[in-house]
Amino acid sequence: MSDAHEHIDKLMQELRRGTITIGVLSQLSEPQYGYSLVTMLGKKGVQVEPGTLYPLLRRLEKQGLLDSKWDTNESRPRKYYLLSETGKEVFNLLVAEWRSIVTSLENLIENEGGEKDGAD
Amino acid sequence: MELIDRYIYAVTQKLPQEQREDIAEELRGLIEDMLEERTGGEKRTNEAVEEVLLELGNPKYLAQKYRGTKKYLIGPEIFDSYVLVLKIVMITLAFAFGIGFVIKIILNPISILDHFIELIVSLVTATPAAFGWTTLGFALGEYFGGINAKDLSFEKKWKPSDLAPIPDEKRQFKRYEPIIGIGFYALLIMVFAFSNEYFGVWIFHDEFSGAIPFLNPETSGSYMFFIILILGFGIIKESLKLIFGKWTLKLVIFTAIVNLISLATVVIMINGPAFWNPGFMSELVQAGLLSEGSEAYGTVSKIWENTTFLILVLLVIGLFWDVVDGLIKSRKK
Repeated sequence: MSDAHEHIDKLMQELRRGTITIGVLSQLSEPQYGYSLVTMLGKKGVQVEPGTLYPLLRRLEKQGLLDSKWDTNESRPRKYYLLSETGKEVFNLLVAEWRSIVTSLENLIENEGGEKDGAD
Repeated sequence: MELIDRYIYAVTQKLPQEQREDIAEELRGLIEDMLEERTGGEKRTNEAVEEVLLELGNPKYLAQKYRGTKKYLIGPEIFDSYVLVLKIVMITLAFAFGIGFVIKIILNPISILDHFIELIVSLVTATPAAFGWTTLGFALGEYFGGINAKDLSFEKKWKPSDLAPIPDEKRQFKRYEPIIGIGFYALLIMVFAFSNEYFGVWIFHDEFSGAIPFLNPETSGSYMFFIILILGFGIIKESLKLIFGKWTLKLVIFTAIVNLISLATVVIMINGPAFWNPGFMSELVQAGLLSEGSEAYGTVSKIWENTTFLILVLLVIGLFWDVVDGLIKSRKK
């Protein structure tokens, strides 16, 4: 049993790595700062550690998918991130890709059961 | 508060200068936010701070995530080349020591046990060293990003027509061929490197008692570097044959280049002044192997005088054949 858990842990790590990016991009059509994103994603069932999210935000910014701005008006200065034009485009393409993956995989998973039933 | 400063410092000091300030400020904001959530605006306790820092985890790993540093010494892009070079180095090493061992036994068979111990000691010390230096070289290349995998790789963009035909007996090397080749080169290197004294006609009076050198003992030292360099190229060539396992066009081209360089160097060297031992014939007579004026003396003397020419002819034929043979075999479908 614990063996299965170990496998699952590793596989989930790989699986999450890509999906977190989609999750982050999806929430940034409005400007957000890092920690508000963590809570926001968490409430919607996507758990992200700040230690993963903050470096990711910077990487996406460096790649040009996000724009950022410091807001110094509040009690403490915060760096807000927002989808750039490229980012919006990339996000839309990514969503389409994601949907097609989901459909294909759903098919595969469903059909596996279906074939067994329909074999005779 | 001091703990937070220390944490932020630990993370940012491992980051590039121009990012430090920005990341530090953002990180401080994050920690404040996390603290606030935990304490609900109440007075913050040291325990709460520690909890938050624990959640953020080891600053070393956080810095790593910010840098996106690769966590490997030699990346997958250059790994193939690395393994190839490592194989060449190891094969050469094994032959060099094996042959050195054999030579020592021939020269001094009584202390075979000493030689054997020496062999083991050399292997144990030299193998990790060779491994280490090769690895270090590649790791440095990886670290500084100077190595472009495409420059280093023997492969071009792959297309199906590149698929090698199913091995044809005629195209394949017999495995022993390059091994004998490496052995031969390594033997020569050992002979030259150890001492030019042994490169000659060996005299046995009951036991080995020196050799009459072919090369001029006065000048051979200065030629040594080139000789060993050429032989080293030869070993690389043979190792590549061993690794590729069959003739390919690339291998033929490489062989042709190596052979051409070797030939040019040998021609320059051999025609240079005082390459051969000028006293060779008289030393032979002194050693009692020949007597002056005999028929044998005449023959040997004639051969000796024409050595330069003979060697060149043999070398040209041999090296040329090496390439032509490879070319024919690589074209065979």
